[in-house]
Amino acid sequence: MRGYAITVGEILLEKDATLDAKGLMCPMPIVQLAKKVKELKSGQVLELLADDVGAKEDVPAWCSRTGNQLVGTEEDGKLFKFYIRIK
Amino acid sequence: MTEKMCMVVSEGTFDKAMMPLIMGTTAAATGTEVHVFYTFFGTKLVTKKANPKLPGIMRLFTGVFVKKMKGVGIGNYNEFMQQAIDLGVNFYACSTTMNLMGVKESDLLPGVKVLGAAAFLKLASESKTTLFIG
Repeated sequence: MRGYAITVGEILLEKDATLDAKGLMCPMPIVQLAKKVKELKSGQVLELLADDVGAKEDVPAWCSRTGNQLVGTEEDGKLFKFYIRIK
Repeated sequence: MTEKMCMVVSEGTFDKAMMPLIMGTTAAATGTEVHVFYTFFGTKLVTKKANPKLPGIMRLFTGVFVKKMKGVGIGNYNEFMQQAIDLGVNFYACSTTMNLMGVKESDLLPGVKVLGAAAFLKLASESKTTLFIG
């Protein structure tokens, strides 16, 4: 079963899970992200919410190193939203 | 083959204790095999009694740092160390400095291995990234 549809910029995505990492600082958003990704299946989309400024660069770097696909990002004031398709 | 990363920690203060854990947990969460080698004053960081303080006069403010770290999800040193162990970070104590610092094998945290320089250098030679924290 898929999650519900959301739009990120111009892209329509179906999000399967959300990880709320607000209030956590480096390296915890990445550590929690790696744990969460293990629970999900290939092709599913995870929404990650973070407000650590470092996450802006860390999450794309983590995705490129691990082969998970960063399909969209959104910035809402101090909040960053990342949409990651599990490899 | 899995990418490897090595770190050497030669100091036992709170700041030097946290750095390899921040780098190590991040690398492990990225799928990298992490090896951290503790030597000289770093050796006591992998013992059950480890309770690192900031250096010099700053030691008085260690509690303030720990409180802030708890607030951002990192927790205290021991909790963070446990996170690293759970993520599969490998910790080693230098066999020679264990003697010098009076650390016995039974004093080490569960899972910490005793290693000599030659074995560590082999791991380092296979690693893409090697950091010295001292």
